[in-house]
Amino acid sequence: MQTRKTLWMMFASLISLLAMLLSACGGAATPEGPAPAAPAEVVRIGSINDTTGPTSDVGKDYALGIREAVAYVNDHGGVNGKLIELFQYDYGYRVPEAITTYKRFRDQDKVVAVLGWGTGDTSALAPTVTQDKMPYVSASYSAELTDPSKTPYNLFFSTDYSTNARAAITAWYEEVWLKDARFESRRNAGDKPRFVAFYSFPTPYSSAPIKAIKEQAELLGFEIGPDQDISLTALDTKSQVLAASEFGPDLVWHGNTTMSVAAALKDSAALELGADHIVNNWGYDENLPRLAGDAAEGVIGIVPSAFFGEETEPGVPGVTMADVMEYAQKYNPNVPPEKRLVRTVQAWGDVLLLWEAMKRADAAGDLSGEGILKAFETLENYDLGLGAPPVTFAPTDHRPGSAVNLYIIRGGQFELLARVDLKERWPELWPTWLGY
Amino acid sequence: MFRLPAGTYFQSYRQAHSFWPTRFMAFRMIVLLIVLFAVVPFTFSNYALSIANRIGYTILAAMGVQLLIGFTGQLTLGHAAFVAVGAYVSAIFTLTAADNASFSPFWGFLTQTGMAYPLSILLACLIAGLWSVLFGLPSARVKGFGIILTTMAAQFITVDFVIAQYVSQIGGRGHYFSIPPGSLKIGGWALTGDRDAYFLMLILVTGVTVAMINWKRTRPGRAWIAIRDNDIAAEILGVDIVRYKLLAYFAAGMLAGLAGSFWITSLFFVSPEHFVWSNSLWWVGVILIGGVGAVDGTIFGAIFLELMLVLVNSFAVANILFLYFKDIAFGLAVILFLLYEPNGLSYRWWQVKNYFYLWPFSYK
Repeated sequence: MQTRKTLWMMFASLISLLAMLLSACGGAATPEGPAPAAPAEVVRIGSINDTTGPTSDVGKDYALGIREAVAYVNDHGGVNGKLIELFQYDYGYRVPEAITTYKRFRDQDKVVAVLGWGTGDTSALAPTVTQDKMPYVSASYSAELTDPSKTPYNLFFSTDYSTNARAAITAWYEEVWLKDARFESRRNAGDKPRFVAFYSFPTPYSSAPIKAIKEQAELLGFEIGPDQDISLTALDTKSQVLAASEFGPDLVWHGNTTMSVAAALKDSAALELGADHIVNNWGYDENLPRLAGDAAEGVIGIVPSAFFGEETEPGVPGVTMADVMEYAQKYNPNVPPEKRLVRTVQAWGDVLLLWEAMKRADAAGDLSGEGILKAFETLENYDLGLGAPPVTFAPTDHRPGSAVNLYIIRGGQFELLARVDLKERWPELWPTWLGY
Repeated sequence: MFRLPAGTYFQSYRQAHSFWPTRFMAFRMIVLLIVLFAVVPFTFSNYALSIANRIGYTILAAMGVQLLIGFTGQLTLGHAAFVAVGAYVSAIFTLTAADNASFSPFWGFLTQTGMAYPLSILLACLIAGLWSVLFGLPSARVKGFGIILTTMAAQFITVDFVIAQYVSQIGGRGHYFSIPPGSLKIGGWALTGDRDAYFLMLILVTGVTVAMINWKRTRPGRAWIAIRDNDIAAEILGVDIVRYKLLAYFAAGMLAGLAGSFWITSLFFVSPEHFVWSNSLWWVGVILIGGVGAVDGTIFGAIFLELMLVLVNSFAVANILFLYFKDIAFGLAVILFLLYEPNGLSYRWWQVKNYFYLWPFSYK
């Protein structure tokens, strides 16, 4: 009797599972129409986020920021009166899952644009996105995505990783190597500064700017040591730091996210590596001094927008930091403001960028993928506000900008160290740096 | 009509060895194949097909794990490495063919006739199989938990070291091996979308399922099962343990190679990130849920887990508020199956079938 009962229960649950799947799949087959209750037209947008995977140390905050920014957009008229409907999924930094999620956006949720996350999945999807003419605004700022002849539909608001890396090494060279008294004797002796990169080899995000930063290091006259492979989830990096210390670097590039960078900084301090550190933007936020403590002192990093809570000039969309903080409090009251990060502001940056492009596309009467891309390419020195440098998308060059803000941690606080504009500094080389 | 009557009425070996001993069984399977081949691809949405392709990929990959764990009793947690080898071999071969097509007669011929991708599948199977044998060698001396560690080493050596640091650099591609849409062709058939990939997946899954069922009842299959059940007894009976273990590794590696070369059709891109260690664990979960040692169990397990993922994903709350919901669901499913259904879905399916066969006069 027991067996039979279980049998029936299994059978019933199987049938219901099947029915749920069929209803889920059938949704796409039936003609789409606005729900009868909804008065306004709806624009659908998909968002792929990492809230559980190896980059969730920065991804969680970004995901919250996306929701809050979309809520703000809807409260402020949406896309010329059309409200945005957001479909947001976690993919745990698993590329295959991002692919199926994208297909879900395209075929079932029928979105007009996607807000993406990691470099691995964004580049994996790039050919598909191009084929589908789907604007894909990612949190990956990989320079591989900036060449419109290859990946026209991949866009983002921040300067790309390679530009960031070039700017960071340039800033250190000019502000520290050429000025700091520590290096005076070696400078006078004609020594070359020594450089090593710490990053996760198999992670496309981490490896994306390595070619560019080494090129820049050669340009500036660095001596380049062996790369060290540090995983995104690393807690112990002593063997890599020891290997690097044999080379004796003056400068280390950290290409991972915050947790891993903090581990590497602490081990570098503990093992007295004696080098300075520059960090890519996803490894440099409010959590870094908290996690690394004194080891974070003097660390230089890239910040693509203002920090959470930092006062800024309102840009064209008129969004102020007060708005960002208000929406954070309103939609996620259980996360206290002191726990929020610059990632929230970065999420706002990508949403505001897409918002402006959609508004322009809608005004031109073409809210399709192609229309939105055309609208993106009309953006010229567009000021998003929130401390982000103005963005420009030329039809032949999708690098949003060339000026990078470099910060330094002093006394646990972030201070602006320098602003490096690569296009100004190397006008003849800048066009040749496109796409890697 | 529905099942074999009590007693055996086979009159020839042919009958005794047939896949479907009764006409009804044959009819049932043919209907299933017609539905899968002719109805599903033309009625399901692209999204549903892409899920079907993921299920197919999971089946192909988990079959190798099934062969190693379920048939031969060799625990493995490094299968993702061999799938990666398959994917990279296939990708590199087709890309080389496409790159050199214009000036080399050999590659040009392969590209023009659409032979590059099919050949790359064979090559991927072969190389992944040999690579798997290499990491199977310790199984001659090591058993049980030890073998788990050697297979895990395969993951780190292959994906994190060889592929990430050396193979990925081939042709200056960095970590991006993107395969331009349309370059994967079988004869004149270009695999461009989910529907094409679906057909290829069905053909491969059907072939692999038939092969697995057949392997299980041939000489090597019986030797594998003997080794799984009691290796010392098997050796005393004259089974060459090392040879058959290595053969199992080779066969499992070949299946992994097949899975890997199928994988590249679904997104025109490979990166070491696609083959992380947790994939291997996921495939072990597939066979635990489906049923260890059961070929149909692999299919059931793959369908169950992949659909569970889809289901969990469709709750927006799970994505935003209940983080790690998917991982929890996976772990919970494995635990519940081990507790309440240790023989897996395959056994349950067998019981369901029997219930209907015997209805209304089942014996209790």
